[in-house]
Order: sequence, then structure tokens, then C-alpha cells
Amino acid sequence: MHEASITEAMLDLALEYAQGQRITDIYLQVGRMSFVVPGCVEFYFEHLSKGSLAEGATLHFETVPLEMTCTDCGRQADLSKWADEQPRTIMVQALARGCQCGSQNLRVTGGTGFNMLSIGVEAAPTSRKEKENEE
Amino acid sequence: MVKIPVLKSITEANALLADAIRARFVQQDVLVLNIIASPGAGKTTLLERTIEKLHGELRLSVIEGDPTTSLDSERIGAAGVPVVQINTDGGCHLEARMIQVALEQLDVEDADVVIIENVGNLLCPTGWDLGEDAKVVVASLPEGDDKPLKYPMAFATAQAVVINKIDLEPYLPAQASVLRQNALRINPDLAVFEVSALTGQGLEGWLGWIRTKLAKKRES
Repeated sequence: MHEASITEAMLDLALEYAQGQRITDIYLQVGRMSFVVPGCVEFYFEHLSKGSLAEGATLHFETVPLEMTCTDCGRQADLSKWADEQPRTIMVQALARGCQCGSQNLRVTGGTGFNMLSIGVEAAPTSRKEKENEE
Repeated sequence: MVKIPVLKSITEANALLADAIRARFVQQDVLVLNIIASPGAGKTTLLERTIEKLHGELRLSVIEGDPTTSLDSERIGAAGVPVVQINTDGGCHLEARMIQVALEQLDVEDADVVIIENVGNLLCPTGWDLGEDAKVVVASLPEGDDKPLKYPMAFATAQAVVINKIDLEPYLPAQASVLRQNALRINPDLAVFEVSALTGQGLEGWLGWIRTKLAKKRES
């Protein structure tokens, strides 16, 4: 259910930026600790976008790794050796090891968001401004 | 294809609305708490006990989130405080827009503290700002003392944890001290209270925390 409402919010945001143009692509950034499941978002998107200007658009997901920072010295923890683990496992491992300054106080500072980077709309031979944005 | 940059959080609309709600509560000097817990952790019982103990001292109002029923709001209504029910129609969390609608039915001017009881769930509610001053996690001992490690974001974003059902500790493999330790590992700034909402044991610390939070908000 979580993904249904988040997909609805995502679709609204895309349609707002499309300003009446047909959307072909949506570029998204998913934090590993965001608890957003891309497969679920795709499933709901197909259903929710039906009949809208975003129907049939391709969703592109870019994963943002978990980031943890020491609240005492400000160093960012090196989590690379657990990159393939589940985010919760990474967090627990990192907390158990602590920071290299000796502190145990690590906080999650990144990888929790779900962001829209950009949308792709059908190129229409209209204003000059749009042409400048063309790839 | 023409690319249009967006660079926005998907939940930005929710965040903006939550900020507007927060601003309104600042103006009215009302403390707002967002209670998050798994189903059966004892959120409603803790609320009932809190209402009872603060009766005559602080004016409480409650916004009840529930997937389908009005069972909890009936309990809160019976406890004698204004309550608004939000049925999420199966939805797993409350959102700022639901709070906005609920507030139309609540006389916030007549309240000192508004407590929002979120839908029983430790995952989704953490991602949605409701305009609260603080999130509070209720974690009951029978659920296990490893809850903070399994649901770290709930504990990382909260300001307080109420460990409930400590009267059951002698019968359980879980320990309140371990739950406390795990919660503080995830978030060293947490205020942790060990209570039994059922027997009333340990509630003073929790009630004191609410009083202090409200006083601090009114000072600033």
C-alpha cells in the first residue's frame, strides 16, 4: 500500500512538470534505506497512469547507497565492504564497528530519499526554449 | 525526447503541507506528537493512560489513524477527550493531507497537546512528516528487544521511545535493558521510558517528558 500512495505522489509531480506534454521517461533516485520497492512502484504506475499523459512512460531507477556519518568527528563511515548487504545489515555492522575516531555515534545521513531527477517529454516543434533543452 | 529537470523529493508536496501544519501549531502553542508503533504494541492503551493521568492538568486532543475501524477512537472518546478518526481505507500510514482534513473537525485552540496515533506499522509512517514536533516510538517487550535493529529508521527519526509491557518481562526472553541499548545504538539522543501502560508502572517519566516538551515549545 505504501508504494501506491508514493506512486500517486510521483505521478502528480511528473504531470505537474510536464505541463500538458506527453511523458515518455521518468528518472528516479531511490535511496537504499527509503523502503521504496522499484518493482512495486512500476506495478502501481502502470495502473495509476492509465489514461494520463504519463501512460506507457518508462521508469528509470538509480540506487543511492546508504550513507552514515559520525556525529562526533563528522567523518563519513566507509560502508563499501558491505555494499551488497541489506541496508539494515549494513547499519548494524557499521554501528557495531563504530567510527575510526572511536565514537559509536553514527547517524544515517543519506540513502533515505526517493527523488525525481527529471522527466522526458515528447519533443514537440514548438518554442525555442524547449529546443535548447533537447538532447 | 526533451528532458525537463525536476530535482525534487517525491514526498515534497507532503513536506510542504506538513510545514504549514507545523506553523499553525506554533502559532497556537500546541505540542504535537506522532505516535508510531507496530500493531498491538499498546499505543491506544498508552494514550488512555496518558489522558487519565494528565486529566485536569493538560488539555489533550487525539487524531486516530486506523486502516478500517473506529474501535480505537471509541476507546479514546470514552476516555473523555476530543478525538477525530481518520480511516486510511487500508493505507499503511498517515499523510499530512489527512491531518489537514482531521484538523477541520478539531478545536485546536482548546488543546495543549495533540497526539496523533499513526497506523500500526514501523516502516511506512517514518517517511511521512505530519507537522509534528516529535515522533515517539512505542515498542513493546513481547515484540522482541531487537526491534530497533530491524526497523532502524523508526528509531533514528524519533525523539522518544516508550518501552511498553515491562510487567511481562519475567515471562519473556526479551529484556527491556537490551531494547533500550539497541534503541540508543541507533539514536543516542533518544529519551527512553520503560513503562507498563496497563499497570501504570513507570509512566511518570513519559508524562514528565510531555510536560517539558510543551514548556520548551511555549518558551521559544
